[in-house]
Amino acid sequence: MFSRLSYTFREMWASLRRNFTLTAAAIITAAVSLFILGLTLLVLRGFDNQLSQWSGGVELIVYVENDATPEQLQVVRDALESNPAVIDVDKLEYLDVDASLAEAQRLFAGDPETLQLLTAENIPTQFKVVPQPDASAELLTEIASSYKERLPKVISVAFPSKQIDVLSTLRGVVQFVLYLITLILLFSAVLLIWNTIRTAMFARRREIEVMKLVGATNWFIRVPFMLEGLIQGLVGAVFASGGVLTANWYWTSTVQSFPPDSGFGAFVVTGNYPQWVVFWLIVLGMLVGAIGSGTAASKFLDV
Amino acid sequence: MIKLENVTKSYSTEVTALQDASFDVAKAEFVFLVGPSGSGKSTLLRLMNRQEKPEKGEVWVAGRNINDMPDAKVPHLRRNIGNIFQDYKLLANKTVFENVAFALEVIGRPKHVIRQQVPAVLDLVGLSGKQERFPHQLSGGEQQRVSIARAFVNRPLILLADEPTGNLDPTTGEGIMRLLDRINKTGTTVVMATHDQRIVNMMRKRVIQLDRGIIVRDQARGVYE
Repeated sequence: MFSRLSYTFREMWASLRRNFTLTAAAIITAAVSLFILGLTLLVLRGFDNQLSQWSGGVELIVYVENDATPEQLQVVRDALESNPAVIDVDKLEYLDVDASLAEAQRLFAGDPETLQLLTAENIPTQFKVVPQPDASAELLTEIASSYKERLPKVISVAFPSKQIDVLSTLRGVVQFVLYLITLILLFSAVLLIWNTIRTAMFARRREIEVMKLVGATNWFIRVPFMLEGLIQGLVGAVFASGGVLTANWYWTSTVQSFPPDSGFGAFVVTGNYPQWVVFWLIVLGMLVGAIGSGTAASKFLDV
Repeated sequence: MIKLENVTKSYSTEVTALQDASFDVAKAEFVFLVGPSGSGKSTLLRLMNRQEKPEKGEVWVAGRNINDMPDAKVPHLRRNIGNIFQDYKLLANKTVFENVAFALEVIGRPKHVIRQQVPAVLDLVGLSGKQERFPHQLSGGEQQRVSIARAFVNRPLILLADEPTGNLDPTTGEGIMRLLDRINKTGTTVVMATHDQRIVNMMRKRVIQLDRGIIVRDQARGVYE
């Protein structure tokens, strides 16, 4: 067992060194494609943060003062529910202090100054309203415009601005373009790794011929080559992950130096998400390497 | 040890490499396959280690029909068959020791077995002082001895030799034949394709003669003719 392992790693390392230029090209392509994918995921996450308060078809938010009593909240709820033809009552959602604070953490991730000002004592709670599919925007605006004056403790009523529509469209475009570029580059990485392995196998065709004649199994012959591709994908993914984490750190520190109301606060990605992205980049890098090398190692065994 | 029953092999519709060939080779027998180039000698050897499959007929090796053998089992079959070639097929970047050890290493033999068996087989073929040399530092005869050591190091039941003296001068060729004869006397079956008339006549072993894929003669203690 140990001699097999030592053989496998020795041959893999020798082959990596022998094909240095091709190996470097494969690693760089894998790294660039995975880096772009990582950035794409972070950018989309930023868009999602920005759009999160309007997700699920919410088109109207009624902000209520933090100290509203249950009775006052019930008055607001009753007013909203009294228009079932315009408002989808089943989807009416109330975000209490905790839920509103959690949402603020996402929205103001890159704006610590604003975030610091929001506490459990002062953050407004909110009713999120989804209109009926056939309700007109004008009618909804008309009904909601009087809420601030006639309902208790209502601070303000927010409608989605055109910016939200712009952001949603932009998100779609960014997603399409970046995913397309990523897909093309990942495919190139697979092809390059495939080609590297094919060249490595061709360079060692005499050894492979001898190995087959003395009774080495196909798997024994294949494994060092497959491992070589796997390592190329893995190294590419490690470089890409380093790049993504650095870019995210640089972006976060840049946004934090912006004025508090710059509007970019939500585009900062915090928490475990960057680590989650890195994890999937590593998995995908290894997968790209394994697919490229695995197919080549199977196809070109009869050298 | 080896049995062929009505074996036919063709590489295209026009070229029939072997036609309706049948014979048995007993354990520890030494058999020459003779005939001009293209008569089917190498095809016969390739059928015996499952590098080729026949269109018709059956090939039995060590009691097993190897035509029906799943591909995954073929490596295990080949561990019982040593192969020797006219061009030696040595790995230029490996020393004599490493070339022979390679055959054991790739079938997963542990290091201590390799350290024990490789010097023993190099001693058998007369190369014990040349373990650290590279193939280009050896004569043709010595390179063929390395090739024989690599084929025999795993103590196979059968040795298949394809023109092993083809690239050697007569005296060196005789030395190789003496070595193969010694290996044969240890109980290893040897099947050797050749058109070296002198060697066949000198050895007086069984001769199977082929002509355009057809066995035209099978003679015990035969000569080349």
